[in-house]
Amino acid sequence: MATNGTSTTITKESPSNVNVTNVTAALDIEGNVPLESVQLDGLVILKIIKHCREFFPNTVTGQLLGLDVNGVLEVTNCFPFPGPTKYQVDMMRCLREVNVDHNTVGWYQSTYLGSFVTHKLIETQYNYQQTFNNKNVSRSTHGNLSLRAFRFTQAFMDAQRENKFTSESLLKNKLTFSNIFEELPITIKNSHLITALLHSLDDFENVIPQGGISTLDKETVTGPLTPNFDTLELSLDPYIEKNLEFLLEAIDEHGQEQSNFAFWQRSVTREQTKLQTALQKRKQENVHRLAAGQELLPEEEITKLFKLPPEPSRLDSLLITAQINNYCKQLNQYSGPTLGKLFMSGELQKP
Amino acid sequence: MPIDAATSALNLSFPPTAAATGFVIPQSRSFTVSVNPVVLFSILDHYLRRQENQHRVIGTLLGVRSEDGSEVEVRNCFPVPHDETQNQVAVDMEYHGSMFELHKKVNAKEVIVGWYATGANLNQWNALIQDFYSKEVLPPFQAIHLTMDTDLKNEEKLLGVKTYVSAPIGTSAKPENCLFLPVPCDIKYFDAERSGLDLLASAKDQPDRSTTLISDMDNLEKTILAVQEMLDRISDYVNKVLNGTIPENNNIGRFLMDTISVVPKIEKLEFEKMFNRFINGGLPC
Repeated sequence: MATNGTSTTITKESPSNVNVTNVTAALDIEGNVPLESVQLDGLVILKIIKHCREFFPNTVTGQLLGLDVNGVLEVTNCFPFPGPTKYQVDMMRCLREVNVDHNTVGWYQSTYLGSFVTHKLIETQYNYQQTFNNKNVSRSTHGNLSLRAFRFTQAFMDAQRENKFTSESLLKNKLTFSNIFEELPITIKNSHLITALLHSLDDFENVIPQGGISTLDKETVTGPLTPNFDTLELSLDPYIEKNLEFLLEAIDEHGQEQSNFAFWQRSVTREQTKLQTALQKRKQENVHRLAAGQELLPEEEITKLFKLPPEPSRLDSLLITAQINNYCKQLNQYSGPTLGKLFMSGELQKP
Repeated sequence: MPIDAATSALNLSFPPTAAATGFVIPQSRSFTVSVNPVVLFSILDHYLRRQENQHRVIGTLLGVRSEDGSEVEVRNCFPVPHDETQNQVAVDMEYHGSMFELHKKVNAKEVIVGWYATGANLNQWNALIQDFYSKEVLPPFQAIHLTMDTDLKNEEKLLGVKTYVSAPIGTSAKPENCLFLPVPCDIKYFDAERSGLDLLASAKDQPDRSTTLISDMDNLEKTILAVQEMLDRISDYVNKVLNGTIPENNNIGRFLMDTISVVPKIEKLEFEKMFNRFINGGLPC
């Protein structure tokens, strides 16, 4: 069970020897030290990208394996989920046989334009986080890779446990759209051998870059690590367009949620007025009865007669707000470099 | 053979079909193997996690083939436990089988194309294992054997990646006898993977071998700096040629001409219009 983050020897000694103490230490500490960051192996990143690319534009999910050591979650391997849970069990058994860390530490999901805050995700993440602690959301855009790690905050976990998302409980748990998740910083670490490989990849000048189109399935394949200038791409419209489209959709949904809530509020007020009038009536009647020397009618009966409609779950609107927040952030982040690029091309056109 | 120093080994074309031994070799024409970086990463990870007494590890290569079998792309791989001593070798075939089934559920397009081993040396066990994998690969294709020099014993200290196919040798074909023929191999990856690789590569010169994700803005800055450096280099070169300090190179001149000619020329008014439209598109955010 070698975590290559802590392994100091590379080849000659068995890594399993070196790390035995680390592993037990990690297991002891687990749960005591809160997670502060996530450390990914290069292998994990490539595997996630491969999985996402093969199924694009569908979203995919998979499991992350690794260890948590002193507050750093080391993710050392992962595998995709094609569906049945049996797959998961079999895969774990197989991986254990070849000394891969077989601790489940979280899961990953690919997203398109960062629209990931959904009900399904909440459920899955809740199930995971009851036992484990982490989640990864990866998003790959042209030029720059985006990988983010999230986990639920304690406040959200409490609320979800009670499975009650009324205004009252939101207030009690101090839960708003911005603190459903907390994001953990990600670092990426390569083993020594991988570092050697990367240098090897860089080193070969004796080869003519074999770039071009893959004859096998018409997706572009490029040669060795040639410089990458995709970031300078000027096609801005599609990204912003899509993002705004999603944003509008989310705002529409939000509007719907709002009117639902308003409807509930109205019906509550209506019921309450009815209740008040009935109470009033009963009280007046009682005054009359008192005057006539008759027995008083109980007032509690009436309170029981009127049922206030239950408050709709606020989870939906909470999630939608979080999603809107997300889109806005993305647009914001995107427009900065975009403007930079625009002005650059402006300079280029000056005679 | 890319990620390896030039080798003096001849790259023989395929031997004529040995129909007599029942061994059919498709297309004796060119044959190339390309490897996805994720495969190399997995192999190295497997090697790091080997058993205490193990000197090398092996595993199965998965990938796709072109229709005529002349081009093979190795896209994925998984480790297979094995045990070898002086006298015998045992490969956990059951493990290999069940793992392949699992992989098939995720990506049915990827089939077994061969196997890998670490260490640069080929021995009699390689021939035996090759024989096993030859049966796993759908006929009439051949199993590819990929080796990776994890000991870094070669002079260049590179992780030499070599690929071979095998041919039967001798008058009567025996599984333990075979001739490994080197085939050219290179690295290929998809556009989506490049951003990931770039990121990983940015850690390679760091003493702690780690890196963090950078924002789009920082990434743009890095790219612009890289472009600036290239511009500096080329203008330096042009100046030197103009001064006569270094002789001119027609090829470089031609490349420069080509590059400059593709810079789009847009009318000033037209450009301003476009520019403003984009600004308006970008600003509201």
